[in-house]
Amino acid sequence: MQPAIETVKLVRVFSSPQGEFRALDEVSISVPNGIIYGLLGPNGAGKTTLIRILATLLLPTSGDAYVGGFHVVKEASKVREIINLVSGGERPGYGILSVRENLMYYGQVYGLTWSETKRKIEELDSLLDLSDFLDKRLNRISTGMMQKYALARGLINDPEILFLDEPTLGLDVNNARVIRRIIKSLVEKGDIKTILLTSHYMAEVEELCDYISIIDRGRIIAHGTPDELRKMVEKEIIYDVDIRLRDVDRINFLKRLDSVIGHTVKTRQLTGEARIRIILSSEDIGRIIRRFEDEGVHVLRVTRSEASLEDVFLKLVGKGIGDEEG
Amino acid sequence: MRRGRSTWNRFIRPAIGRAYVRIKGGNREPSWILWEIILPMIMIASVIWAYENMGAPPIFKGFVILGGAMMSYWYNVLWGMGRTLYWEKETGNLELFLLSDSKLPGLLLGMALGGMFNTSIRSLAVILLGVYVFKAQFILDTVPIALLIFFLTLVALYGLGLGLSGLHVVYGRMGVRINEALDEPIMFLSGQYYPITSFPLLLQYIAGLLPLAIGLDGVRRALLLGEGFNQLYLHVIILMVLTVVFYLLGLRMLNKLVEIGRRDGRLILRWL
Repeated sequence: MQPAIETVKLVRVFSSPQGEFRALDEVSISVPNGIIYGLLGPNGAGKTTLIRILATLLLPTSGDAYVGGFHVVKEASKVREIINLVSGGERPGYGILSVRENLMYYGQVYGLTWSETKRKIEELDSLLDLSDFLDKRLNRISTGMMQKYALARGLINDPEILFLDEPTLGLDVNNARVIRRIIKSLVEKGDIKTILLTSHYMAEVEELCDYISIIDRGRIIAHGTPDELRKMVEKEIIYDVDIRLRDVDRINFLKRLDSVIGHTVKTRQLTGEARIRIILSSEDIGRIIRRFEDEGVHVLRVTRSEASLEDVFLKLVGKGIGDEEG
Repeated sequence: MRRGRSTWNRFIRPAIGRAYVRIKGGNREPSWILWEIILPMIMIASVIWAYENMGAPPIFKGFVILGGAMMSYWYNVLWGMGRTLYWEKETGNLELFLLSDSKLPGLLLGMALGGMFNTSIRSLAVILLGVYVFKAQFILDTVPIALLIFFLTLVALYGLGLGLSGLHVVYGRMGVRINEALDEPIMFLSGQYYPITSFPLLLQYIAGLLPLAIGLDGVRRALLLGEGFNQLYLHVIILMVLTVVFYLLGLRMLNKLVEIGRRDGRLILRWL
């Protein structure tokens, strides 16, 4: 069966007076129909570049890409008929118009008649629960409402394939949960056939996606179902070590230990603590804890942990997905 | 899902949608009365009084008022399209529009129509104020030919605006600079406050390439001198030719610039 999305050795190079930047480096993926496909990677990994090429907004430097069986360069018009794109953190539309008027506008843009658009807005209201703010001006709604509206805009043309670029970016925990629930139900109910979702939130990808590709510096470094990916670290030993926040600068020695495949640091400003997640190739935690104490680091807690996608990324790249954000 | 949309559907529906946005946006605050009627009227009044003091014939009042009224179409239709498209790109609306597979000239037509509607309200107010405050007189028998010339001028401006709008998308603020650099020469050549027949012949030929200059001259001749189709058919023919030429060139330039934008990534690049 023909995949919903396919790329073959896709390359995109951006040129500037400072030199060339290879945003995508021979990316090949195949997305089957009827699933939520996750593209996981840190900021600047190439996720948005890939989505922009698939959405026909950007030309690839070389390689091929197909969406719904149509070539994104040679058959861009046919691709556009079956897709839509929703980006997190964006505020598309016109602030002076109400949410309803904005959706009416996008209905026109997609060639729907007034009555078709009105009917569609009613459908979207029942799907996304827009009624509280449908008649509010766009520049007066909250971030959570804005993301629901953005999803409604993305569904106005009943796309077969929906691109979601960091759909919960900037949302609080509750709103992010609501948006994730909606995304999951879209494919389960058959409203959308296929979703390609990019994110740098591990938990989001793990919760939503049937199949995942991990992308770093423009290259796909691993792919599989969440379980298949987790199996990549099933032999490794994972510990969470809680220390005081002020001692974080003293743990650089971890990089020099042979048994440590990688580690990430998550700081908790409120409690004044930091959690160090360490992946070990062999059971060596006793020696590591002693080294912590030798370096003057006060260890608060040590917990053995289950493998997660974050550990897969840590094993493959040697650092956490958020570590590049600085 | 609507598949296999006709060119008409991809062109006219977004035009209607975008015109509504522009009309609503242009009139959201009553301050437009100050900016677009009162302030231009001060400029127009100062020129009229200058002509009166010099003992110019009363017909010059009409020249100035029509010039002031039509010049605003240059800003609000032609450059308004470019500036608005640049704003659409910066807000991310343009990329959403492009992936809809609607026609970009349709979006620009909507901007132009909205701009024309808003500007017409303002121009009408300027003309009415001119008639009642400065007692300017117009010949109404030749209104149909004046309207034809006026309509053709706007269509030609839209064609010219297509290509120039592409500059705003690909070159960002540079497009705004080009706009500013062209303002003064255009005002000079269009004969906003004087008839272009007062120019040397070479300048008249150059001005003849500007739809606004031809349109303004034709409308003035019709409404102030009472010239009809027999005297103004050349204006009509030149404007029709300019309309076709500017539309074809503008469309080609726009498509080329959008292609450059897709190739270089400028369509999705902000703060350019």
